Amino acid sequence: MATQTETKNNSFVLSGVKNIVYEDRPIPELKEPYDVLLQVNFTGICGSDVHYWQHGGIGEFKVKDPMVLGHESSGTVLETGSSVKSLKKGDRVAMEPGIPCRRCIRCKEGYYNLCSDMRFAATPPYDGTLAKYYILPEDFCYKLPEHISLEEGALLEPLAVGVHITRQSKLKHGDSIVIFGAGPVGILCAAVAKSLGASKIISVDINQDRLDFVKKFTAPICSTYVSQKISAQENAANIIRENDLGDGADVAIDASGVEPSIQAAIHVLRRGGSYVQGGMGRDECTFPIMAACIKELQISGSFRYSQGDYATALNLVANGSVDVKQVISRKVKFEEALQAFEDIKDGKGIKVLIAGPE
Amino acid sequence: MSEQNQSFILRAIKDVAIGNISKPQITDPHDIIVQIGQTGICGSDVHYWQRGRIGDFVLNSPIVLGHESAGVVTEVGSSVKNLKIGDKVAIEPGVPCRHYTVFAATPPHNGTLSKFYKTASDYCYKLPDHLTLEDGALCEPVAVAVQICKVGNVKAGQTIVVFGCGPIGLLVQSVAKSYAAKKVIGIDLSQSRLDLASSVLNSADGVFMPPPMPKKEDGTSHTTDEESEHSAKVAQLIKDKFDLGQGPEVVIDATGAQSCIQTGVHLCKKGGTYVQAGMGRENVVFPITVACIRDLTIRGSIRYTAGVYPQAVDLVACGKVQPQKLITHRYKFEEAEQAFETVRRGGEDVLKVMIEGVQ
Repeated sequence: MATQTETKNNSFVLSGVKNIVYEDRPIPELKEPYDVLLQVNFTGICGSDVHYWQHGGIGEFKVKDPMVLGHESSGTVLETGSSVKSLKKGDRVAMEPGIPCRRCIRCKEGYYNLCSDMRFAATPPYDGTLAKYYILPEDFCYKLPEHISLEEGALLEPLAVGVHITRQSKLKHGDSIVIFGAGPVGILCAAVAKSLGASKIISVDINQDRLDFVKKFTAPICSTYVSQKISAQENAANIIRENDLGDGADVAIDASGVEPSIQAAIHVLRRGGSYVQGGMGRDECTFPIMAACIKELQISGSFRYSQGDYATALNLVANGSVDVKQVISRKVKFEEALQAFEDIKDGKGIKVLIAGPE
Repeated sequence: MSEQNQSFILRAIKDVAIGNISKPQITDPHDIIVQIGQTGICGSDVHYWQRGRIGDFVLNSPIVLGHESAGVVTEVGSSVKNLKIGDKVAIEPGVPCRHYTVFAATPPHNGTLSKFYKTASDYCYKLPDHLTLEDGALCEPVAVAVQICKVGNVKAGQTIVVFGCGPIGLLVQSVAKSYAAKKVIGIDLSQSRLDLASSVLNSADGVFMPPPMPKKEDGTSHTTDEESEHSAKVAQLIKDKFDLGQGPEVVIDATGAQSCIQTGVHLCKKGGTYVQAGMGRENVVFPITVACIRDLTIRGSIRYTAGVYPQAVDLVACGKVQPQKLITHRYKFEEAEQAFETVRRGGEDVLKVMIEGVQ
């Protein structure tokens, strides 16, 4: 592997299943008048990056050619296209890594996350952000206020996911919410729910350390529950009883993707409650469809983020509502990135940030 | 040397002329070039001509007028998939650069009264064979009407009252009927326009001409309070005449006139919706307490949003809305100034005036 001083655009590339190499890729060039050239400063690792690494694909997305990983990044502006007005060299930004076509009906409605021609970093065949340089259009860069660090900027991506999931649930001030899964997304959903004025937040997981973390992170509003190997209805009944949820919770979010959690979430909801599938697991599961029917539940999916979510995430960090620094378990140098991936794969830490190449 | 592109240009207030601008070239792979076939005139075109501004939009340099157009595709960019050369299209004239919006014939952007017009392919909608270019051009005001009904949340089974039987009012009535509104009432001061609504377009189930305020014995003009009182009375007359009970679900003003705005708000039932579509004076005396006490939803409506234009094209294509019945005058391109003058002088007999494309 070439040393740092010799490479121009050192990149962390998935070249095959479980096979990572460092490559010196060409420095990208500004093409459109609204393009911005960024130097990537920090990148967080997402479960999807790990999944591509271990399995070579997620659902229909299959890695065919070598692909740069990573998409949760912050960077510094180096060059701007001729039409760029709001950014200049030296500005520090959070990077929203998915560029929609801007022409289809979903884009025009504001649901650009549902664009069929979406070019998303580190979703095949598009390269991700674990490189020295990256190009994004101006409106997908969010300038960080002075008091927000580049490390925090890299957390805006998963926070925007949490914002979107919570928005899909239509959680409002005073509602009770149960969140299944206390990984980064579940933790951040809890933080968003707190900022929205939820009256009760219950975090559910099998991992006591993660539950302890989320309870502290969203204190004093959050209580926790350890899932047991009993039926989903029994787990749900326990959660309702232990937290005085009356007919059931107003909102339930699954941020785990596992079947017993999905089932328990449906059973923990009150009549007329709202459920959001945020977690990703097996394509199909056994689903309590009759409970959903009889209780007249509102059931939504949630995918990435759309109109306004990134800006909301930035506001939540900028005004101190969500202290994302606490979610950062450790930072590693670019050369140590693979070690960070191993840690995340083994469930060590919550968010590990990889510094950009120097 | 650029090819001729004859255009109808607003050079300064009240100063229009036919001139030549450069023929547009495809610069973006998603662009298309359309040879304009028909253009309808809108009140806003006349307003820029006569006053040089509408609100914040000020004429500072010459612009081509017109924005209600249809034409035939003459060139397509390399990435265009939805259209080919020779297709007849209705043109949605407001293309956001997708970072902020550029609307045709709103200073400083050129309108469509040229021989050739360049626009983005996803803002052009192919017309089925049985529609003419006049139909296509009129999809623009139909889209305005569809947007008004969307903003007002007009639904099947509702009662809708529309103030104004000009082109927009009539089209709003037609669109509401196409949504299976239970009852659509049209209001106007002109008997011939009311007849259009009730008999020609069949856009209204009932029509009404509000009575004028009785002159005062001492010959003085009415006070603001007296006008407001009269508006409330007229609202009650409308409710009684059409058995509207507590009131209609949706009231739409397509006049911009203060008396209609007041009457419209008074007409709303509790929890009802009022939509301001008509443009008149910037400030009016408004029954704000009625709005408060009756928990009204009051919304403005402007142009159109995602999905609306294609819906308008569909409504015209399937015959549910027939905007060609609104055409009262037709002019050749060289007569464009006369066409504008016809709209400017107005009158009961002037509804939709069309200008043919450069031959």
